[in-house]
Amino acid sequence: MYHLALKMLLGDRAKYLMLVGGLTFATMLMTQQCGVFFGLLKWTTSHLSNMRAKLWVVDRKVEQANELKALRDTDVNRVRTVPGVAWAVPVYVTVQSAKLADGNFKPVMLVGLDNATLIGQPPVLLRGKLESVRLPNSVIVDELAVRRLSSGRAKPLDLGDTFELNDKEARIVGICRADKHFFGYPYVYSTYTQALQFAPKQRKMLSLILAEPAPGWSLDDAAAAIEAATGMKAYTEEKFFWATIWWYFKNTGIPIAFISTIALGFIVGMVISGQTFYAFVHENLRHLGALKAMGASNGLLVRMLLLQAFIVGFIGYGLGALLVVGFGRTAVARGEPPFMFPWQLPVATFCLVMSICALSAVLGIRKVVKIEPAIVFRG
Amino acid sequence: MSATPTNSPALAVHVRGVSKTFGTGETAVTALNGVDFTARQGELLMIVGPSGCGKTTLLSVIAGTLNFDCGELDVFGSPLHRLKPREITEFRKRHVGFIFQAFNLIPTLTCIENICVPLLIGGVSRRVAERKALALLDEVGLGARGHERPTNLSGGQQQRIAIARALVHEPRLIICDEPTSALDKDTGAHIMDLLRTAARNPNRCVIVVTHDSRVFKYADRLTEMEDGRVQRVHDQGGNYDLSE
Ligand SMILES: Nc1ncnc2c1ncn2[C@@H]1O[C@H](COP(=O)(O)OP(=O)(O)O)[C@@H](O)[C@H]1O
Ligand SMILES: [Mg+2]
Repeated sequence: MYHLALKMLLGDRAKYLMLVGGLTFATMLMTQQCGVFFGLLKWTTSHLSNMRAKLWVVDRKVEQANELKALRDTDVNRVRTVPGVAWAVPVYVTVQSAKLADGNFKPVMLVGLDNATLIGQPPVLLRGKLESVRLPNSVIVDELAVRRLSSGRAKPLDLGDTFELNDKEARIVGICRADKHFFGYPYVYSTYTQALQFAPKQRKMLSLILAEPAPGWSLDDAAAAIEAATGMKAYTEEKFFWATIWWYFKNTGIPIAFISTIALGFIVGMVISGQTFYAFVHENLRHLGALKAMGASNGLLVRMLLLQAFIVGFIGYGLGALLVVGFGRTAVARGEPPFMFPWQLPVATFCLVMSICALSAVLGIRKVVKIEPAIVFRG
Repeated sequence: MSATPTNSPALAVHVRGVSKTFGTGETAVTALNGVDFTARQGELLMIVGPSGCGKTTLLSVIAGTLNFDCGELDVFGSPLHRLKPREITEFRKRHVGFIFQAFNLIPTLTCIENICVPLLIGGVSRRVAERKALALLDEVGLGARGHERPTNLSGGQQQRIAIARALVHEPRLIICDEPTSALDKDTGAHIMDLLRTAARNPNRCVIVVTHDSRVFKYADRLTEMEDGRVQRVHDQGGNYDLSE
């Protein structure tokens, strides 16, 4: 009987396409928006994924990775002397403006790395040598910087080319790949001392300190020791990551915007599929009544409706997920729009789409269970 | 009230004092008012009478598709008034074949698939069901049209498909509500021929509700209803004249 249930649904082309279309749309909207949302949130933590350190020591008032408050140079040494700290290095992070060949300016994220260790170095060096960054006026730029800063030039920027960084000449000695920053600024790396020269002088120029616990010290214990000894804030990498994500969650309209789009996807899916399925059942009431008269139990009819609802759910979800995967691949390849596709996301949308189907089926089921088989004798 | 044993082999349907009222209060309509009625095995019995006299209601009750308010009803020995809803559903599935005025075929399924439905509901495998459906399709003379949609067929052809569907699971009780009313004279005659043939099985009973006097001659017996009661039973349907 179940194959006939499917044929009954497939035979009603218009409703079948409407159902599949509605669920595809809902899947797409929810998955894609969530993907962009997660991608965007991930961008807010790009410092962490780009610099990779176990402990992040920052000013006491710092709540997230993109709002750093300057520390004193001497603070590095204070951290180094805390028992439980294996090493600690300074990092200078600042937004500076780079001048383009066409006279325009573009902001870049300048990261000054500890001269000796270069800890916090770019995650993937594509061309050039890391050590060359210690040469005078040298920088390593990411791919985005190459694209952004090349405008107005005959050829894209390459190794050996120079550009003006805050009125000072910067020579490219390496090209790297780095995770994109939330504000869309390209990453430009230099040594700590070189960075201080690129940037205008200020009283306090240290942005944060990267550290690692001494052997035998847990991350949390080391962080607590640093905080106790220095009065600064010491985050473990994981805590800083979530603190940053939560900060954007709580302090920006981003989640509201996304959650409402996701809710919209759910509602649109629910309305389209619920209504269409209800209409399908309504139009087939006579036939369902006839089946009942012929001895089909409520259980059989309910199973038939559930099958119909879930089959369109699977097809709609499959199509929607495929489209999002296509979109996601392009987005990830191009680097924008932000996109992140953790496995929980398709699972969650799958559950949402299936609950849409279940709710739609329930609407029809309530009607079918109430049919009197005797209606088949009425005109 | 009749004291006929309920399990009498000759009786297919035995209705005793059945009443049915629709609605309550001022709008209440008493469709059946203490109906006594019998149908025998191996006969084609017609229920006739003016519109609104309760024929369809009686048929729905006999078919086990409508609850009644009081009275007793045995169908092939099953006391329907004592069965639970689930058992009545089971009873319909096994023992009743339905034929409707409006055919009630499912338009998105092919003719063969429509005929298979009672077998599939009964849990018969798809393969066996299709084989039986094909045989029935031949019996009603539409062997070549099995894979078409019913909507491609004429009214008479659709009713033949419906007959095949009603017979495919070999039920003992065939219930027909105005099977020829939507058809012209010759087509109606063909349908009645098929029903007559079906009624030749001595274990079966075919009950036809109709107000189509052109087909009265096909009846073994005629039960005449009026105002929710059985008025008369005529032993030879052919001689019955509605103008009487
Ligand atoms: N479901 C129903 N609800 C209310 N009244 C009904 C219903 N079914 C039948 N009736 C009424 O019961 C009476 C008998 O109807 P019916 O059995 O259909 O008569 P017939 O088939 O002889 O034309 C009519 O007055 C009809 O209006
Ligand atoms: Mg009627």
